[in-house]
Formats: sequence, structure tokens, C-alpha cells
Amino acid sequence: MDQQAQDIAISGKHRVFSLLRIWAISRNTFTQLVRMKVFYFMLIFSALIIGANLLFLSFTFEQELKILKDVSFGAMSLFASIFAIVGTALLIPKDLEDRTLYTILTKPVPRIEYLIGKLLGILLLIAVSILLMSLLFFAVLYIRQHGILAEKIASIPRQVSEADIESFRESIFSRGLQPELLLGVVAVFLKAAVAAAVALFVSTFASSTLFTIIVSLVIYFIGHAQALALDFYFAKGEMHSAGQRFFAGLIGVVFPNFQLFNVADGLTAGEVISTSLMARLVGLTAFYLTIYSLVSWLVFAKKEL
Amino acid sequence: MANSSTPAVQIEGLTKVFRLPFKQEKVVAVDGLSLQVDAGEVYGLIGPNGSGKSTTMKVLLGLISPSAGKASIFGLDSGDTASRGSVGFLPENPYFYKYLTGSETLAFYGKLCGLSRKQIRERSDELLEMVDLTGARDRRLGGYSKGMLQRIGLAQALVGDPRLVVLDEPTAGVDPAGSRKIRDLVLELKRRGITVILSSHLLEQVQEVCDEVGIIFNGRLVREGKLNDLIAIEDQSEIVLQNATPQLLERIAEMVEGEEGAQLLRCGNPRTTLERLFLQEIKEGSKQGGEDA
Repeated sequence: MDQQAQDIAISGKHRVFSLLRIWAISRNTFTQLVRMKVFYFMLIFSALIIGANLLFLSFTFEQELKILKDVSFGAMSLFASIFAIVGTALLIPKDLEDRTLYTILTKPVPRIEYLIGKLLGILLLIAVSILLMSLLFFAVLYIRQHGILAEKIASIPRQVSEADIESFRESIFSRGLQPELLLGVVAVFLKAAVAAAVALFVSTFASSTLFTIIVSLVIYFIGHAQALALDFYFAKGEMHSAGQRFFAGLIGVVFPNFQLFNVADGLTAGEVISTSLMARLVGLTAFYLTIYSLVSWLVFAKKEL
Repeated sequence: MANSSTPAVQIEGLTKVFRLPFKQEKVVAVDGLSLQVDAGEVYGLIGPNGSGKSTTMKVLLGLISPSAGKASIFGLDSGDTASRGSVGFLPENPYFYKYLTGSETLAFYGKLCGLSRKQIRERSDELLEMVDLTGARDRRLGGYSKGMLQRIGLAQALVGDPRLVVLDEPTAGVDPAGSRKIRDLVLELKRRGITVILSSHLLEQVQEVCDEVGIIFNGRLVREGKLNDLIAIEDQSEIVLQNATPQLLERIAEMVEGEEGAQLLRCGNPRTTLERLFLQEIKEGSKQGGEDA
């Protein structure tokens, strides 16, 4: 084959977009984070929910189960968000600092693939950690609800009828391990996914890991307060001016409303989570992931490395 | 391949200007640089720190975009991701993912180059053997020495079977023995017909491996050409004699004196280089150690 034919063959052989390359980067990101021993956090998580369990034994079973669920969801959300922000902040700035990025981008890898690969890797890590946390949480809840039932039966001096047992079971288990809790778990994941996309965007223009963490945390906290702030801002009258509408829209796009994702609070209080709310959350997550990934790419594609 | 008309690298009128953040000032890192590297050649880019070598390499590899001019690899524009399909790059002082082992590192880069599992396995075995890291293939890179990191870096640069290899200061911070190993690897690449662009401060090494050299200063290519042409002192000749007696040397000196215009500048024992002496001593030392054991 002469040189020119070889050049054409090489340029033809190159895939403009390759899922295999993205998967290679995601898997590598996941392996890297796992080998940084991030899963040691499970020890802290276990200590928290077992501690919550032991500390509130003297409460009524309704209170005890609610506290267990509150603490578990709170800890899950906290850990998932920390992973999302800190884990993502560790990726691009560190690759750039160590020049590892040069070795990746000088292979036939488009920059968008690198970004998507990194984001998917961190999402995989968040998904696995949430899965582990929920398994532990559900196991503790399952054991506790059976424990409470046994204690309840034992505390009654007379012979307990089957009907009574069924009634206790119904009353205790309805506050225990219910399938709806899975919706709360999904919401925790969606929230962390949006936080990771925010951190990814910040890291494309940030010069250090610390800067990425700080700016992402600021956006994260503003995102929690944005609905509150907007309500307050527009409380006294209807939105009339185009400027106000634009401002409200801008805040809504730039700062994701993280408060919306906190459906677990309602769940533990016994509220029913509607399918439409969950669909809205999934849609919002997809919207923010797309917008933040696109903006990240626009910044990163032109970045002088 | 070397006879082909398409040059491996073509840089024309390349200028790169950096704007300093928060200031009005601009820094011209590369100023109208043009060069061509033919396929199969080993090209040495030399120049002091901050002269524009790394910037030139970064433009060539698509890591930064030129302010003016253009660069291409085997006819494909550097901005085109496809041009990286035939390139391997080893940056200066590289760090890789220290949680990965040597073979995992090569597998990762192999996947980025689109190699199949079987190809990755075969290529990893071959490259680890070539860079003398077969014994350390299952060790994490966090435990590698500086020289080993440079060698695994060279292996990752070669994993996609590139036709052009770009090495930025490949021997920076490596001891003379490790540095010699890398030099030998560059010679091996040359033997295989792979084009190499090399930047180094170790001029003796550049002299040992390069066919052509370009000297960059202040972002401009101030001198370029075949190494032998550049370093030859045209009005001087060298004769190296083995076992010459003092009488023979005297007769030669007399002959030169009798020749009009000719002059004997120097006569004595040629010096070896400190690097060669060091390597010879290490070699003999390890041989003796082996015999003692």
C-alpha cells in the first residue's frame, strides 16, 4: 500500500465517536476511584445507621423506624453528593496536573468522549455506592421491623391471636421496608448525578481540585436555596417584567433546584410520591446532564492544554 | 515508507501567541516556525528552556491550536482527531494512573487506540518485553521508579503501532543507565522505520540518535539540517590511530609541518565521555559482583 492510500485508510479507520473508547475511560475512572479506597466510607455509613438504631430504641416503633429512615436517607444523600463533587473534582484537574490528559488526548480520542467517559465513570461509582448503602439500609430496616414485631408480641401477656399478629405486622411493616423507598433511593442518585455534572463543568475551566470543590459546593448550596430565594423575590407580586422572567429562568438553568430531589423527606413522613413527580425528576436530571455536558464540552473543546 | 512523498510532519509558518490572564501582555511562544520531518527520520528539536519546543509539539498533537500557520501529520491536519491515529506521545515527566498495573495501563491505552482484546494482549507482551518491564507488569505504577515510568510511558506511546513517535525530554530525571536504555529504544524505533521527533537537553544523546536536528531559540528555528553536515568542521580533518609509536607521531608532525598552510592542532589520547566511563564501570562492577556471587 503506498503512503497516500495508507493515510486514507488510517483516517477512514478512525471512528468519529466510539462507545468502546468511552467505556474504556469510564471503567478506568471507576477503577481509579475504587482503588483510592473510597468504599471505606461504608464503614462510616454502617456506623451511622446502626448507631441511629441503637440510640433511639426507647422511642415508639413509629418514631424509631422514621428516624432510621431519615438518618439513612440523609447519610445516603450526603455521601452520594460528596462523591459526586469531590470524586469529579479529582478527575480532570488531576489529569491535567499530572499530564496524564496529554497521553489520553494524543490518542485518537475526541474531547467529548473523554468528558462523557469521566462523567459515566463517576456516575457508575455513585450508583454502586448508593446500591451498597441501600442494601445495608434495607437489611437493617428489615431486621428491625421483624425485631419490633417480635418484641410487640412478646410484650403482650395473653395469648395473641393470628388476627392480632396480622394487625401488628400490617401496622409495623407499613412504616418499615416498603417498595416506595426505592423512589427515594432513585431520587438520591438523580440528585448526585446532577451535582456530578455541575462539578464536571466547573472542572473544565478550574485550575485546581480545591477550586472545583469550592465552586461546585457553592452552586450546590445555592441550588438548595434557589426555589426559596425565587419565591421570596417574586412573592409580593406577579412576575411582570421580561427582565425578571429572564432572571428567574437564568437562575433556574444555572443553579439546579436540588431541593426538588429531596423526596425522601416526604417518603419517611408517609407521603405518597406521585409518578409524575418522579418523571419530572428524571426529566430534570436528563436536562441538566445534557446542558452541563454540552457547556463543559464547549469550554473543554477550546481549552489550551 | 521513507521514500514516500507525504512527509511525516509538516509545519508551516506556525505562530503561537499566549495572552497572559488579567493582563494586556502577550507572549509569543512560537514565531513563524516551519519544518518538515520525512517518514523514517529521527528529528531532534533542541533549544533552551522556554524556547518553544513543547509548544510546537503541543500544536502538532492538537493539544493547543495555532494562532497562525498550520501543522499536519502524514497529511492530516493536527486539529483533526484522526491525525492522532498514527501518533504516539510521551510527555515530559509523565505521571500515569498510579493505581493501575503496567499491563492494565497498556490495556487502557490500547483500548483508546481501538485495539481488540487479542491485539492488546499480544502488543502488551511485546512492548513490555521491549521496554524490559515484563517482570513488573503486575505491579502498580505507584511503585515504579522514574526510569520505569519513562519506559512504560514509551510503551503506551507505542501501543497503537504508531508511524510517528513524539518524545518530549524522554530522559529528564533518569539516571545514565536508564537514559541509555531509552536511547537504545529510540534506535530500535529508527531501525523499525518509525519516525521520531525528540526534544532533549542532553545534546550528546541527540547527537547519537538523530539524523536531522533543528535548533529553536525564542520561538524561531534558527538552524536546521542533517546532523553530520551541521557538526562537521569543514576545514579540519581527524585521524585516529591505534598503537602508534612516538616515532610515528613525530614523523607525522614533521610531514604536516612541511606542508604549506596545514597545521597540526592537537595530538594526544582521545577522551571517552563521562557517560561512557560511568556505564562501563557499572557494567564491570555488576559483572564482578556476579562472579563473586
